[in-house]
Amino acid sequence: MEKIIETNHLTKKFGKFTAVDDINLCVRKGEIYGFLGLNGAGKTTTIRMLTGMIRPTAGTAYLNGQKVTAGNSHLWEKVGYLVEVPYSYPDLTVRENLEIIRRLRFLPDDSTVDAIIEKLQLGQYLDRLAKNLSLGNAQRLGLAKALIHNPDILILDEPANGLDPAGIVEIRELLRDLALNRGVTVFISSHILGEISRFATRIGIIHEGRLLRESDSAELERLRRRSLHLNMTDKDGAKSFLEEKGFSVSGVKEEFLEITDRNAINDPGRVNAMLVQAGFPPTMLKIEEEDLESYFFRVIGRNGGVQ
Amino acid sequence: MKGFSVALWTESLKAWRSIILRITVVIFAFMAGMMGLFVYLAQHPELISNSVVLSTKTSMLGKADWPTYFILLYQIVAMVGLIGFGFVFSWIYGREYSDRTVKDLLALPVPRSAIVVAKLCVATVWCILLSVILFIVGTAAGKLVNMDGWSVALAWQACRIFSGTALMTIVLCTPVAFFAGYGRGFLVPIGYLISIMIITQFAVSAIPVIAPYFPWAIPALYSGAAGPDAAQLGAISYIILISTGILGLAGTLLWWRYADQM
Repeated sequence: MEKIIETNHLTKKFGKFTAVDDINLCVRKGEIYGFLGLNGAGKTTTIRMLTGMIRPTAGTAYLNGQKVTAGNSHLWEKVGYLVEVPYSYPDLTVRENLEIIRRLRFLPDDSTVDAIIEKLQLGQYLDRLAKNLSLGNAQRLGLAKALIHNPDILILDEPANGLDPAGIVEIRELLRDLALNRGVTVFISSHILGEISRFATRIGIIHEGRLLRESDSAELERLRRRSLHLNMTDKDGAKSFLEEKGFSVSGVKEEFLEITDRNAINDPGRVNAMLVQAGFPPTMLKIEEEDLESYFFRVIGRNGGVQ
Repeated sequence: MKGFSVALWTESLKAWRSIILRITVVIFAFMAGMMGLFVYLAQHPELISNSVVLSTKTSMLGKADWPTYFILLYQIVAMVGLIGFGFVFSWIYGREYSDRTVKDLLALPVPRSAIVVAKLCVATVWCILLSVILFIVGTAAGKLVNMDGWSVALAWQACRIFSGTALMTIVLCTPVAFFAGYGRGFLVPIGYLISIMIITQFAVSAIPVIAPYFPWAIPALYSGAAGPDAAQLGAISYIILISTGILGLAGTLLWWRYADQM
């Protein structure tokens, strides 16, 4: 599939500090690429290089096959972006702020502003000064500016910041619709890992400036640890029985037994039948799947953010 | 230039809707009105006989006639104007950093150079507006207090000298735009302006012969506000002044094009 966003050995140094170190990314048409990392990992610096706001110390970024440079203004005709907290001109209304972007993007149709206002549900704030908007509505205005020209590429840095739970779902559905039905390529950074896991088709994990891992959703599913949790009255007896049958019971915990064998996880019904026949009927049987947060910390080598 | 007209429209809207435009208009009109008040107090010293400060200030005016009054107007546009116009430039360029809206201007189909030049045009028109207010309100205030020496010919000559002085002062503000980008806000350009005023005073006082070659002293020399004994301007003076303006604009364009915009 067509490569839409690509970086080759992208590196950015500030003095002796390396903010982004030799990153090679490739995002294909229609993908939603979740870019995950802790604060200071290099997410925003990468996004700033992708949008031409800062120049790489080494390496190159490409959008739609064109090299990203500050002087290549044609490049941005089909790119929408939102970098960090979106700010708007405080003395201008929501409509005026959008009107400015409409004109700067050479959009001839006046109704473009009305359409995006309706899409982002900003109608009731149309004539409100930007300085009087709540954080959530300021975020919506930022997204409206990024989406006003129906871009083919969306580069979004923490777009869910400040949105309430309903707003987060709404934006997720909007982005999913754009990617699936309009072929828009979405590059999205976020620290809300669970949220990203719900709709990203690929995920990249950046830590201390380096891209540690890239996985598509199927691979991610495979890489995330899964285990079968069982509970019964006689846990010691059941453990011995399962070990005799060749299963690796990784440990008897106070509440349940845990099996990590792929065979058991793929066919829990068979394990259940064996235990019932042996006189150890389970009172609980469930497959536990590592959430993205735990996976993320495992990949970057931290436990809940504490090294 | 591609996108210049839309950039000009957006910059005009931003300036028109800003409270800063109104504040600068009021300040310049107030300054001009105060000049009339000073002349009136100079004409009626008995009103301020109890105030040493005011008496000192009005005595600095010298003769309360139209030629002296116009020279005071030139001084204001050359010295106070540099601060006022410089503030306008620092606001127009620096606000994008302090409001953190610069990000919205960097990855657009409109080239960054078009935005920089559009800002320059709006800042120039804004400063011209302030100059016109200063001259018109100042002249009206002078007429109200009824000074000696008025003639239409003198007023036209004053208008010509005042306009030239104001335009030269505006040309010298382009480096402020560069410092607004370099300092990412207002503080550095305002610091630059204050430094320039202090350096000009010291340099020209210490070595008067350099005044015609020191860009920020040239508007005062042109207007005659520096006094009849001041050095005369030559062609090189105008070349230095224009070069300073071009360097400031070029620096601003290069900064917006090549510097990391954080």
